[in-house]
Amino acid sequence: MNDSAHLSSQFDEDLSRLRTHVLQMGGLVETQVSAAIDAYSTGEVSSVKHIVETDRRINDLEIAIDDDCAHIIAKRQPAASDLRLVFGISKIVTDLERAGDEAKKIAKGVRRIYEAGQVPSQFGIGVRHIAEAALHMVRDALDAFARLDVEQAHRVINADANVDVEFKSIVRQLITHMMEDPRTITTSIDIIWIARAVERIGDHAKNIAEHVVFIVEGRDIRHPPKEQKA
Amino acid sequence: MSGELIRAVLLACLAALIALPVGHFAAPWMGWTLFCVSLGLQLAFHFRNFARLDRWSRAPVVDASLEGAGAWDGVFGRLYRHEKDLRAQIDQRDREIAMLIAAGQALTDGVVLLDRNDQILFCNRTAEMQLGLVIRTDRGQPIMNLVRRPEFVAYLKAADFTQPLTLRSDRAEDRVLSIYVIPYAGDRRLMQIKDVTQTDRLDRMRRDFVANVSHELRTPLTVLAGFLETLQEIEVDRDERMRYLSLMSEQSQRMQSIVQDLLTLSSIESAPPPENELVDMATLLDKLRRDAEALSGGKHQIVVDSDGRGDLRGSAAELTSAFGNLVGNAVRYTPAGGTVRLVWKASPQGAEFAVEDTGIGIDPKHIPRLTERFYRVDRGRSRDAGGTGLGLAIVKHSLNRHQAQLDITSTPGKGSRFAARFPASRVADA
Repeated sequence: MNDSAHLSSQFDEDLSRLRTHVLQMGGLVETQVSAAIDAYSTGEVSSVKHIVETDRRINDLEIAIDDDCAHIIAKRQPAASDLRLVFGISKIVTDLERAGDEAKKIAKGVRRIYEAGQVPSQFGIGVRHIAEAALHMVRDALDAFARLDVEQAHRVINADANVDVEFKSIVRQLITHMMEDPRTITTSIDIIWIARAVERIGDHAKNIAEHVVFIVEGRDIRHPPKEQKA
Repeated sequence: MSGELIRAVLLACLAALIALPVGHFAAPWMGWTLFCVSLGLQLAFHFRNFARLDRWSRAPVVDASLEGAGAWDGVFGRLYRHEKDLRAQIDQRDREIAMLIAAGQALTDGVVLLDRNDQILFCNRTAEMQLGLVIRTDRGQPIMNLVRRPEFVAYLKAADFTQPLTLRSDRAEDRVLSIYVIPYAGDRRLMQIKDVTQTDRLDRMRRDFVANVSHELRTPLTVLAGFLETLQEIEVDRDERMRYLSLMSEQSQRMQSIVQDLLTLSSIESAPPPENELVDMATLLDKLRRDAEALSGGKHQIVVDSDGRGDLRGSAAELTSAFGNLVGNAVRYTPAGGTVRLVWKASPQGAEFAVEDTGIGIDPKHIPRLTERFYRVDRGRSRDAGGTGLGLAIVKHSLNRHQAQLDITSTPGKGSRFAARFPASRVADA
């Protein structure tokens, strides 16, 4: 009796440590996204190198956490909600890593634009706006995971639609720009790539929020049937 | 206790005493029955009291319901008093704890208490706002799960708390936090979070100021030194020399005006409050208009918009120079053909002097820093326009000394509006 209680508390500790690791990786991704946005608006190209280097740490963390998940499943054979947590974490980590990749893409795009002697803000002011929205989504999704707060997770899922709409309007604006003045095409395309990366970060945040709902409620809400959507 | 034992034995003896003669003279079974019944009655009495105690102990309430008879009364009484004292003590402790928590809440610094696994035990409202915590749901949560900034996690893990950690908050916009971690009660930790946004800003301003003064003075100095070297080493003809000398004197005048402005600024800062002389606004507005026209050289339209009511109380020299500075800026930063309006409005509630232009305007992000010393929106342009970078700093200081506010609104490409608002105490004859 005593022995099994001891074992299960050790197991709880393992799970709690795993969660903290995921959230620390999340913190790193948040910082990356925020640094990439700052680079975009200030033109501090020097920070790009740092962002690219930090991305490697995120990749390492992904592998390490996935390893931990496999270990826990093999050693402890968790059931029910614990198993869902481990599965959910394994998926969240994938989304975090991809969001990190998108941040790296933003940083590299910023470097391309500034090195070509252009200033992006005069073309796409809206990018900064959706970038902040996407960063908020990542932060809120991670908060929802830390607190296992389904309500907040749903708020993140709903926020994604706004980012998508704004992304489309930015693309429309830039197309008009390019038609008016073909000299801006190179920069505009780079900005579209950046906006696209931002939009993807929003999608990954939404996925993370969906995994949180799965962890808490055991419901997979990723692909709702058409009639439910309305 | 022993009293009760004696009583029980005596009662048994009494029962035996009555039962014995009955058993002897009547039938023995009657004696036994009597004896058993009397013992049974005693047992029932004790059992009833025991049942009462049992019921009470399951849900001890402090009211009068716990009453016993005989020896039980004493026991019940003591239990009752004990319970009552205990409750009073708990209430007292609760009040003390509530007071302590209220004191923690009242702190203007953020406070977070962590257990040995860095899980949150308590945090006050300030900390909730600074770090985005919600203590209602976050108690027991590892703090690193919610404050995920890599530098914070590294700081907590390294456990070297000799230096505070400076963190730019991502939850409360643009706040700069200084986090102290203090170990207490063995392996627990107390986090104290100070908001150092203001100090951080002052620090930056001071650094910028020193760097800017040096830079501003060095630029003309470099020019002077360069020409001097040329004149020393190369024979130049008279015309060339005259050109060099005039450029040199231009630069030395620049340095002189920077030093002059710095002196003005420091004298305003340390001077006693301004005297209370009456400043005649009609005369002042007329002078400002003439100065503006002279500076503009006929390239701008200068309009004075005033109903002629009201005057100001204060230092005429300071106000003239402050208003003149605002008008001068408007003329300098408005392209030829534009309009500069000088608006004066006074009422018993206060007065406002505003300069509106149709100039190039200012990006909103520069406006909060505009009155910082040497702050320039566009370095090259403002120096070409002949500014020292100290004008608005002096204006702001002069106005502050008259309890006036400088209010700046601007739309890039459309124009700007610089308004000085004076309180009623500074207005005469409105």
